Amino acid sequence: MPRIIIYALLILTLLAILPPVIAANARSKPNPNRPINIIQDMDLQAKFLPQSENDLFADKRSQRPQIVGTVARGENYLDTHFVDGVVDGQWATTTPKQLPMNMELLLRGQDRFNIYCTPCHGYSGGGNGTINQRAMELVANAEGPVNGTVWVAAKSLHDATVTIQPIGQIYNSVTHGVRNMAGYGSQVPPADRWAIVAYVRALQRSQNATLEEVPADKRGGL
Amino acid sequence: MSRFLFPRWTNAILPFILVTGAILPLYAAFVVAYGFSPKTIDAGYQPTQPVPYSHALHVGQLGMDCRYCHNTVERAGFAAVPATQTCMNCHTQIQRESPKLEKIRSSYESGMPVEWVKVHKLPDYSYFNHSAHVNRGVGCVECHGRIDQMEVVYRYSPLAMGWCLDCHRAPTDRLRPVSQITNMAWDQRVELTREERESLVKLFHINPSENCSTCHR
Repeated sequence: MPRIIIYALLILTLLAILPPVIAANARSKPNPNRPINIIQDMDLQAKFLPQSENDLFADKRSQRPQIVGTVARGENYLDTHFVDGVVDGQWATTTPKQLPMNMELLLRGQDRFNIYCTPCHGYSGGGNGTINQRAMELVANAEGPVNGTVWVAAKSLHDATVTIQPIGQIYNSVTHGVRNMAGYGSQVPPADRWAIVAYVRALQRSQNATLEEVPADKRGGL
Repeated sequence: MSRFLFPRWTNAILPFILVTGAILPLYAAFVVAYGFSPKTIDAGYQPTQPVPYSHALHVGQLGMDCRYCHNTVERAGFAAVPATQTCMNCHTQIQRESPKLEKIRSSYESGMPVEWVKVHKLPDYSYFNHSAHVNRGVGCVECHGRIDQMEVVYRYSPLAMGWCLDCHRAPTDRLRPVSQITNMAWDQRVELTREERESLVKLFHINPSENCSTCHR
């Protein structure tokens, strides 16, 4: 048998190993060279999906922000109690009529509080959440605050300056922010913000409760 | 004119030709199935983002809930990438001069969006709804993997149709209580008994459709 044929066969066999090796290597670790779109079908259509790009606008947003001074459908700006936490020019002292204070509202509030508020205020509302701890660490760094970090310790929600506030005022702080705290109006819908402040009220009561307020059958656990 | 005759040594390679002829189609099928599988060409996509945001730090270490930033996930089909405002809730104070956050600050001042690169891109003819899944017991980790351990997010799942159907045909093991939906370290296969998982199927009325029009409209 001629040498050249033997060598050619050997090389072909070796080349045959290459494609599976390349594929196995591609599978083994994440990398930026994917997805490889071999058959395009209609994968990329000329339409605007949420948060996609539209070059017709200067800011390239396909989703247009709400125009100042306009009211979206379903937006209830006349109900100042529900939207702003204000009744007759004063901070509301109760939850709005469409959200009566009950266990369902409190549980929803607990759920939302644990998502949006605990990073700074902590699970009990005492003001020592993980972000607060991290910020304190960065400020206390031996070579000075890291990258110009400044931090005022997160407020304890059991502080007398907070506990005396009407529920509408706390709702307003959640919506528009207060001092260094940013507003959560764009992140949390109004009904959930009311649930949060209702739960804050429950937390405040829990931290200043007397033994008489605990149901008799639960007192043994304390 | 002399006729061409195969030299005598060609008799020796006849068995090899037969064997190769039998193996070659199998080899081709293997290369196509393995090499062009969505697990090879789609999963593992890890683009470089404009801002080196670390989920490992924010979620894994600081314990922030997924919904703090991706707050539309329970209400909409699309789990929105957060607005720059969400970043600046903290970063007006924390790390406020960090060079890594330069693009966040300029976006905050100019109102131009940060151009994050989409990692989990579905074909435009498929309609996935996040809220339909997370409100009925499919946890984030089922599809996205341990995001809380990723410094740079990559596509953990192939997001191919066969992969969707794997779960639609056998949903029982993929369900968890809604309270654990964003808990990435929690695994229902470990924490719940088979009976408890089956009761979740009944609780959420899980009856996953395999009809084309469920996802393709």
